[in-house]
Amino acid sequence: MTAAAAILCFEAVSKHFGGLRVIEDLTFAVRPGTRTALIGPNGAGQTTVFNLITGVYPVDTGRIRLDGADITDSPSRRRIGHGVARSFQNIRLMPHLSTLENVMVGQHCRNKGIGGVLQPVNLIPRNRWRTEARAALAEAGLGDYERATVGSLPYGVQKRIELVRALMARPRLLLLDEPAAGLNPAETEALQMQLERICAGGDLTLLVVEHDMHFIGALCEEVIVLDFGRKIAEGTPGEIRRNTLVQETYLGAPAAAPMEPHGAARSA
Amino acid sequence: MSGYLEGILVLLAVNVVFAYGGFLPLAAGQLNLGLAGFAAIGAYASAYLSNVFKLSPLIAIPSAGIIAGLVALAVAVPVLRTRGIYLALATFALGQIVQAIILNLEIVGGAAGYPVAAFIRFPTIAAVAVIVVLLVWLLFGTRFGIAVTAVHDDERVADLMGIDVRAFQIAAFALGSAIAGVGGGLYAHHFSFIEAQYFNISLSITIVLYVLLGGTQTVLGPLLGAAVFTLLPEVLRASANWRYVVFAAALIVIMALRPEGLVTGAQLRRLFGWHRGGPGEAGVDAAKERA
Amino acid sequence: MLREAEEAAILSQQIVNGLMLGSIYAMVAVALTLSIGVLKFLNFSIPGLFMIGGMTTWALIRAGTPWPLAVGGALMIGAAASLVVERFTWRWMRMAEHFVPLVSSMAFLLLFEHLAVVHWGSELRTLPALFGNADWRVAGLIISLPQLVGLISSIALIWALTLLLARSRVGRGLRTIAEDSDTALLLGVDINRIVPVVFLVSGLFAALAGVVFALNYRQVHPFMGEVVGLKGISAMIVGGMGNIWGSIVGGLIIGLVEVMSIGYFGADVVDIAVYGLLLFILFVRPTGLFTGSLVGQARV
Repeated sequence: MTAAAAILCFEAVSKHFGGLRVIEDLTFAVRPGTRTALIGPNGAGQTTVFNLITGVYPVDTGRIRLDGADITDSPSRRRIGHGVARSFQNIRLMPHLSTLENVMVGQHCRNKGIGGVLQPVNLIPRNRWRTEARAALAEAGLGDYERATVGSLPYGVQKRIELVRALMARPRLLLLDEPAAGLNPAETEALQMQLERICAGGDLTLLVVEHDMHFIGALCEEVIVLDFGRKIAEGTPGEIRRNTLVQETYLGAPAAAPMEPHGAARSA
Repeated sequence: MSGYLEGILVLLAVNVVFAYGGFLPLAAGQLNLGLAGFAAIGAYASAYLSNVFKLSPLIAIPSAGIIAGLVALAVAVPVLRTRGIYLALATFALGQIVQAIILNLEIVGGAAGYPVAAFIRFPTIAAVAVIVVLLVWLLFGTRFGIAVTAVHDDERVADLMGIDVRAFQIAAFALGSAIAGVGGGLYAHHFSFIEAQYFNISLSITIVLYVLLGGTQTVLGPLLGAAVFTLLPEVLRASANWRYVVFAAALIVIMALRPEGLVTGAQLRRLFGWHRGGPGEAGVDAAKERA
Repeated sequence: MLREAEEAAILSQQIVNGLMLGSIYAMVAVALTLSIGVLKFLNFSIPGLFMIGGMTTWALIRAGTPWPLAVGGALMIGAAASLVVERFTWRWMRMAEHFVPLVSSMAFLLLFEHLAVVHWGSELRTLPALFGNADWRVAGLIISLPQLVGLISSIALIWALTLLLARSRVGRGLRTIAEDSDTALLLGVDINRIVPVVFLVSGLFAALAGVVFALNYRQVHPFMGEVVGLKGISAMIVGGMGNIWGSIVGGLIIGLVEVMSIGYFGADVVDIAVYGLLLFILFVRPTGLFTGSLVGQARV
């Protein structure tokens, strides 16, 4: 796969903090329209990868390309404009904004300039941004929570709101940081279905950091495995499951956790 | 209207304007302890413009507000590179410098104070206060309000969502200072005499305190805070200095029990939820029961 | 020749006066820095405690108390006031906004100032000259007895503080909390017992600074804390927040700057010079002259 065809491209990226080398000469590419998992033992560097993509940390060496554009030196607040949005491991919604307003924050990057800032979103009920946000919440089954204070809502609901917020930016690449963490099986299944629905059009690429192998096996077509900041394997979930190096890395993790190839029937 | 009542209402109107001057930066998560300095700039600029250039107060006061805002803008860029406590202290140093400079400006009377020729009555002052409140309410009804609150709540995530955090902080700071300048102008043209000693750190602190008392989560909070600060001591028939004692004591208790202030966002949504359509909080409870 | 000697003498005297004033600012700065260093809390009530120290001294002396007892009384009342502040800013606080304790401490400043006005009126009050002409003359410099008392007591108190921090268990606890409050908890440091100590010590420093000010400059009024308190804050920033030696150096610098600028440029420019220096430091090096933890290894 050439660099031009990939939606996301890491080229020999390294990052260290003080003496600690967190990411070491990492090169990988993500195909557009896919659902790709980024896995590895705790501390292997997955969240750091997300932080490098979104610009929270600058890279030490290497380049990052998003949809062909070199974003390595782009400031963090511009990256969402390049088409990448993310959700967070610990939910980070704004406590002083209602659910609807939180979701509207996601639209901010699509409102350019002073005119964009002065959009009377809370003054005119039929304002198009407000309508769009309400529709998105309704579609995600969250319409009832519009006016609620987010801090009082159940954990699973907050996670879904965060997802809607990220989608409001109309990203090409969506980074999900442990989206299934803390969810019960029913919520996990609902999340998986929601993600498959939003990816159905083929415009959106998912990059998911997760530890729940079931979830990854059911959702993702591609898996990239990290250890100590390096890529040690990549392939389909089936290939990864059979990869001995990966098995060694995960020694002690339930080897019995089946990672069904994507599309295996969730029969009955 | 009796002179006494008019005096109280004038004070209320001026305090309301000051309150919104303090509210703007606080809504963005910044503490401006130099508010009194910007009020002073507004007061003295307006007085000077009307004394020397014979401008009507209706022109001088807004102009003075703009001048205060421009000074704030010039200073905001370096000052807002500092954070948190450092920012509060930088703004306080700023306020002190302004006061010290004015004390030495013989052209506006220096330490002896500066008389103001043009006089404005309560209706004008009330009108200006109403306009200020309206403008802030409109502004916070736009995306500006959402962005500023996002910056206040979580700078890191706001930045990742594409919000230019520095720009909004600078804007809130400059706008708040401009409003404080307008308040200073109103004060100058009604009390007809201004002196630098009045615009001290105590004034800045007092304003910040009654804004926080009212609550910074909603646009109504500062109005309530200014009202409580101005009117409660009248109700209690407190003398000038007991007013501050009562106010300070009340604030200490309130900060301990209800740090968000008197008016919170959640309250307001509950209160007005049915006006704007949607089931509001009632819907949440219903949804929880269904789940 | 004589002219040079005269100027040198004047300069030296100014330096002495500047250091005297600076030691007062230094004590206020130390009080503030202890609070910030250990509790991460800018305690705005400290200028109020300074005023309580000064005005209580005046009030007690006016009532006929001999000055050593008046000083002791003022210190005790200042310390007690500080513990009241602790109870209402620290104990009850719920951190909804990150500057809640700061705001409560500002309210306490207002409270103390206006209680003083209600009780004593807002006029400037003068203390009687207690020490006659008992000046200490050395090398052509004049150091008055109150100045000497002030200097010795500041040095003694600061020395006691550094001993406390370096040698005692409480002091170790304070330093640990200053470094990392989470680790402190893990190490078993009882924060609830240590916090009142911080308030007590910083209250004592602030009150003593007020006492020394009252005895030296013999003028007190309910808002005296504001200007001195603010210069103390400046001193703390210049020297480096959370660093005790920095606060001391910062205080002395500010005192010198103030006296020198009065001497060479006139009284008008003083505040501009001091606060201008503060702004400059905040813009250029906000962490102040010294970095490093509480008991300043004065690392720059």
